[in-house]
Amino acid sequence: MSTDTPVGADRQGQTGSLLVAGFFVLAGAITLYDTTRYTDVDSMVFPRAAATLLIICSMLSLVSTWLRPSAEPGFGQGSWWRRLLLVASMLGACLLMPVIGFLGAGCVAFVGGLIAAMHLRWSAATAFRFGGSGLIIMVGFYALFRYALHVPLP
Amino acid sequence: MDAGSFLSALTPLNIAFALFGVAAGTVIGSIPGLTATMAVAVLVPITFSMEPASALILLGAIYTGAIYGGAYAAILLNTPGTPSAIATTFDGYPMAKRGEGDLAVALACFASVFGGLVGALALLFLAPPLSSVALAFGPVEYFWLAIFGLSLIASLSSGNLLKGLAGGAFGLILSTVGVAEISADIRLTFGSQTMIGGFGVVGALIGLYCIPVLIDLVAVPDRHLDVKEGVKSVRIGEAARLAFKSKFNLLRSSVIGTLVGILPGAGGSVAGLVAYSEAKRTARDDQKFGEGEPDGIIATEAANNATVGGGFIPTLVLGIPGTPPDAVILGALLVQGVRTGPALFQSGGGSIAYTFIYGLIIATVLMLPVGLLIGRYAYKSIVTIPKAVLVPAVGFMTIIGTFAIRNSVSDVIIMILLGVFGWIVGRFGFAASPIVLGLILGPIAEQGFVQTWIIGSATNNLAGMFFGRPISQAIVAFTLLSLIYPLFAARRKSAQLNEHS
Repeated sequence: MSTDTPVGADRQGQTGSLLVAGFFVLAGAITLYDTTRYTDVDSMVFPRAAATLLIICSMLSLVSTWLRPSAEPGFGQGSWWRRLLLVASMLGACLLMPVIGFLGAGCVAFVGGLIAAMHLRWSAATAFRFGGSGLIIMVGFYALFRYALHVPLP
Repeated sequence: MDAGSFLSALTPLNIAFALFGVAAGTVIGSIPGLTATMAVAVLVPITFSMEPASALILLGAIYTGAIYGGAYAAILLNTPGTPSAIATTFDGYPMAKRGEGDLAVALACFASVFGGLVGALALLFLAPPLSSVALAFGPVEYFWLAIFGLSLIASLSSGNLLKGLAGGAFGLILSTVGVAEISADIRLTFGSQTMIGGFGVVGALIGLYCIPVLIDLVAVPDRHLDVKEGVKSVRIGEAARLAFKSKFNLLRSSVIGTLVGILPGAGGSVAGLVAYSEAKRTARDDQKFGEGEPDGIIATEAANNATVGGGFIPTLVLGIPGTPPDAVILGALLVQGVRTGPALFQSGGGSIAYTFIYGLIIATVLMLPVGLLIGRYAYKSIVTIPKAVLVPAVGFMTIIGTFAIRNSVSDVIIMILLGVFGWIVGRFGFAASPIVLGLILGPIAEQGFVQTWIIGSATNNLAGMFFGRPISQAIVAFTLLSLIYPLFAARRKSAQLNEHS
């Protein structure tokens, strides 16, 4: 996704604002639909009020963004593969947790985050230093939660 | 109140418990996901074999330390360590980003100590009369209090009110997911067993505030926080001067915190938001709240620590816990054989109650050196750790902290997805704070609204129930003020600019 030029950023800002406002309208409509199957009127009053407010505000925001282009920055500059690697490694760690345990899954998340956030030149010394620090932090927190706070970590 | 109780609180053992409690609470509270409630609950079993007064002092010290500790992560990582520190992120993180994190941490410490002392002194001198405030608050007052908190969206979204309101409404909808509290209907789960428990507030907080920061941090090679040249420690003198200059804000926020703390179920997050709203409403023209204004930190931190003493008022006098940690401490009291109620302050139990209150005051005073010392190391650690280690370490903490709340992997996945959602919508002007406000205040607003509706319908006096009670009228007036004032202030500012140009 190109974000190099201000014109591109403006267009991205407006398109994104329209899409998010549209998503909120949809979320409000789904909520209103969901309330139709509640058995008690007490359950539906509040979600209906909130959904109505959401739809009205999002529609107004949508119209105003359509008429007057948004000044939002959009996704801005920065590396997409790093962002995606960070999120993917954290989600991957969650999925692997029941299989390889909490500490193993934590290592997956940590290594992914380390590679994503590493903007310095890699060397054996930095890999050893950063990896070692990570291991100490993870084992420390694991021990604190597992043995001191008695959290049943898998 | 007697000298004997004061001297009992001053024994070396009790002072050691207070010191340990404050330090342990501060460290636990600074870890995202570990709330004050969890800190107190985890350490309760230790107190079963202790003297009742010492046990209470330890638990009170842990509680007050944890509420303050939440400010570290809020200021340095934009992640409220505890829900009470939500509003601390509004100005704390912008201050840290521009190189004043050390000042913000010291300021939070001074404000927390002051607020904690006001709350504890209210508990010492005014507990029985103030406890009647808790009884004067019915469902409708809670409803309007939640609406008052939501009105903060107007001031948080200057220039983008529609997007702020949409975010707030979306947060309100998220708060309804799961089993309805009053009628037990299952709402917005779409058949998923995972969603029946609803969105956990702490997990949502971590996701919406912390994950977007991590995503932004990895994308560019810039430093995490700027550091001012020549500054070697937390700026204690400067922070003390700023806090003294804002003495009225300190006092007002502490009183707000004490009063909100008295209300069962409201807690530090609501107190911080209400105090922040008031500080912003009464701000000078040159103060820029939301962009790193020290008065924002002072208001929030004074208010949330004042809820500690305030929350103990209904707990000790009426046996009704003001906040969730108070409920845990109430349980510990019952295990110790201490019966709460007005008699606790008069009969034989009085010495335990007063020893505890003096112990709480001592712990709050000890929070100043302990908090500044820990704050100094926390700040130094965060600014010196390379980003390549800081990001995965914080990521790991968000996973373990969210998992620990309900021992659920699904909660962690929801936290990460909410964070990605918060990052995307934030890039297009839909900020995370209104969504969080809706999520936190939604249950209070819904319960108050539905109960008032039922009572009003049954008595055939709906309008009278919603608008006829004096406390409700006062809260409605404040709500209208905080909604209208930002528009008025913006208009006045643009008129002044026109005059100048």
